[in-house]
Amino acid sequence: MSLNFKQNYFELFSLPVQFPLDKRLLAHNFRALQSQHHPDRFAHGTDQERRIAVQTTGYINEANEELKSPRLRARYLLILQQVDFELCDTTHDMLFLMHQMETREALEVAEQADNALEQVDQIAQQVKHGVASIENSFQQHLQAGNLSEAKDAVLKMRFYERLNDEAKRLQEKLEDEMFA
Amino acid sequence: MALLQISEPGMSTAPHQHRLAAGIDLGTTNSLVASVRSGDATTLADDKGEHLLPSVVRYFDNGAILVGQQAQAALTDDLQNTIASAKRLLGRGVADVKTFNGVLPYEFVKSDSNVPLIRTVAGDKSPIEVSSEILKTLKARAENTLGGDLKGVVITVPAYFDDAQRQATKDAARLADLTVYRLLNEPTAAAVAYGLDQEEALDEKIIAVYDLGGGTFDISILRLNRGVFEVLATGGDSALGGDDFDHAIAEWILQQLGETSADQQTLRKIMVEARRVKEVLSDKEEVNVSVKGFEVSFSRDQFCQLVEPLVKKTLFACRRALRDAALEKEDVMDVVMVGGSTRMPIIRERVEAFFEQPPHVDIDPDKVVAVGAAIQADLLAGNKPDSEMLLLDVIPLSLGLETYGGLVEKIIARNTTIPIAKAQEFTTFKDNQNAMTIHVLQGERETVEENRSLAKFTLRGIPTMVAGAARIKVTFQVDADGLLNVSAEEQLTGVKSAIEVKPSYGLSDNQIETMITDSMTNAKVDMEARKLREQQVEADRTLEALDSAMANDGDDLLSEDEKKTLSEARANLVAIKASGTTEAIETAIKAMETAAAFYVARRMDGNIRTAMAGKDINKFKD
Ligand SMILES: Nc1ncnc2c1ncn2[C@@H]1O[C@H](COP(=O)(O)OP(=O)(O)O)[C@@H](O)[C@H]1O
Ligand SMILES: [Mg+2]
Repeated sequence: MSLNFKQNYFELFSLPVQFPLDKRLLAHNFRALQSQHHPDRFAHGTDQERRIAVQTTGYINEANEELKSPRLRARYLLILQQVDFELCDTTHDMLFLMHQMETREALEVAEQADNALEQVDQIAQQVKHGVASIENSFQQHLQAGNLSEAKDAVLKMRFYERLNDEAKRLQEKLEDEMFA
Repeated sequence: MALLQISEPGMSTAPHQHRLAAGIDLGTTNSLVASVRSGDATTLADDKGEHLLPSVVRYFDNGAILVGQQAQAALTDDLQNTIASAKRLLGRGVADVKTFNGVLPYEFVKSDSNVPLIRTVAGDKSPIEVSSEILKTLKARAENTLGGDLKGVVITVPAYFDDAQRQATKDAARLADLTVYRLLNEPTAAAVAYGLDQEEALDEKIIAVYDLGGGTFDISILRLNRGVFEVLATGGDSALGGDDFDHAIAEWILQQLGETSADQQTLRKIMVEARRVKEVLSDKEEVNVSVKGFEVSFSRDQFCQLVEPLVKKTLFACRRALRDAALEKEDVMDVVMVGGSTRMPIIRERVEAFFEQPPHVDIDPDKVVAVGAAIQADLLAGNKPDSEMLLLDVIPLSLGLETYGGLVEKIIARNTTIPIAKAQEFTTFKDNQNAMTIHVLQGERETVEENRSLAKFTLRGIPTMVAGAARIKVTFQVDADGLLNVSAEEQLTGVKSAIEVKPSYGLSDNQIETMITDSMTNAKVDMEARKLREQQVEADRTLEALDSAMANDGDDLLSEDEKKTLSEARANLVAIKASGTTEAIETAIKAMETAAAFYVARRMDGNIRTAMAGKDINKFKD
């Protein structure tokens, strides 16, 4: 049975088109689709069957990646509503940007502190809260149909993602040093 | 006697006909072949009853070739013609191999293809050819034992292997005339071998596979749910293995001998003795070291102290993999031990302490990978149509493209489930740019030089447009074996170019093995380097924009004096860009923008459409 590529990612996994996600259901349906379409199921198939299997599972994997990540899921929901994202798009919320810069600097300072790990953990916690609140506001804007505000929220998520990466990297480094 | 079955005309195989299939563990140190017979997966022995085939090949001047035990016996006598550890060289370029000089006693020669060749009495041999000899031996063993031709095999590779190494493994299989159903990651194979999917207890469980072999270390975190194995994260160090434990002992021996250096022959002898000593210490508390008439006793405690840094290194990688999988130690419900080096008591103890549970060690750690590969091969051969088992692997290292300024833009992140296809749009940097070089890289670092260069190709025939107007879509497609295809297309005109990635071995200094570790420790350096590069690129863009504007309407809109002011500001930026710090360049860009502000205003006023891209105009505005 071949896959209908015209479905959107949510439909592909039989999920409602919405921001809140049932992760277990996604994982479950992901496995079910993979079991059905994976190239290993066509090890003896024709070349064409195998090619299609690679394309199909590639599509399933990409869809899974997109839905698993809150930012990509949010972005995708907007794209479904014809919102464009350009490479150079960024938020112009100066207050937000200042705050991001401060957090970044705080991380740099924390790294040098005596109780570095504690401080970095604390900042990471703040970043988590920030992420939660931005996801919240995305959901509200989306429901209210304020697409440009919703888009701004998605762009802000990217900043949090970077902060989060940076915090994670620091935690890892500091823990390694302690462990050594 | 049963009636002979006659199949319908046109039906190629009877549906329940058993196809002969095998799993091959092509190891750095030892290789094995296994197959499912009467429902049981077992490794196959040679005519002397040996299961392990040492991954050693010896070449003779009359064209004869010896593989395995007999070749290994000659390791110290016929250094140059006896090739061990060829797997370490698979998929590596000439530059990578340079660092092996001194470690490996071979004479390397360059070839046209940039694949390093090893000079032997039987001619120059590539690591792919050497590996194919091992595969041929195993194939013959399997066909003799099973009594027929193999329809297909599953060959295992370290989860850590990059694209070039996987490709080389497949090439070796082709040379050995084997049909490869699939390249399978070693840790996944091990998890399959333990039949952890057969246990009913739970809905879902997390498994850690710790694989310490002769030359590599792998740690993988898998999720198992109703027969589906999903690799969540994989990490490790492709230059850390039992050999390094041997090295530690060898160095200690050299110290005891009071020698700082020794000839190749003696070194090999010491290495062989070191390995023996290490293996004895897995069963005994104390061992006698004896080299060149020198005797000294060596205890397990001494050994543990020597290798402590190595043990720790593997545990760091475990923590990292857990973090990548976004899991805690407590989430891990099974720990599987793989590789001969996990026989060392110190390793078992420390892994047990780390994961706070005893690891699985019941299947022989040497054989477990081959056994898992055999189970998968049996399945792919179609011998088990009702099995639910499915193995979902991930890509071990991120894939990306070189962008302007020697930076890498990641297209597919490591630990993404494969197969996968991803596309990314790029645009031109200069006005009227007609060609674009697509440089494909693999690794975690941010700059080009520090990642593995996989391929380079050029997309030509981009129509004449202003900078930033072209839309070039680059698509990465990774198949179930982890092999990559890249294609590029200009969206407006449909100009296309595609390549099956064959390694270009562009790496200048050999950092592949430690790429991930490096990317962590060097994160800070990277960030600074990145910021500097970004400012340099920014400076270039600003300069380009000014030049392009002046060429267009400079003569009409500017007086000679004004032109002089601008060209001074320009020269200042050029100088600082070349040697300045990130901050200095930033300041110089600002200064030039300020100096040019009046000119920009004049251009805007005149509502002159220039060839400048919108983005660059914006730059001058503020
Ligand atoms: N009893 C033992 N104690 C310690 N190390 C051992 C023992 N047996 C084998 N090894 C080591 O295991 C390594 C080979 O492991 P193996 O899994 O076959 O490697 P690979 O996968 O690299 O081919 C060698 O370094 C060898 O010295
Ligand atoms: Mg191995």
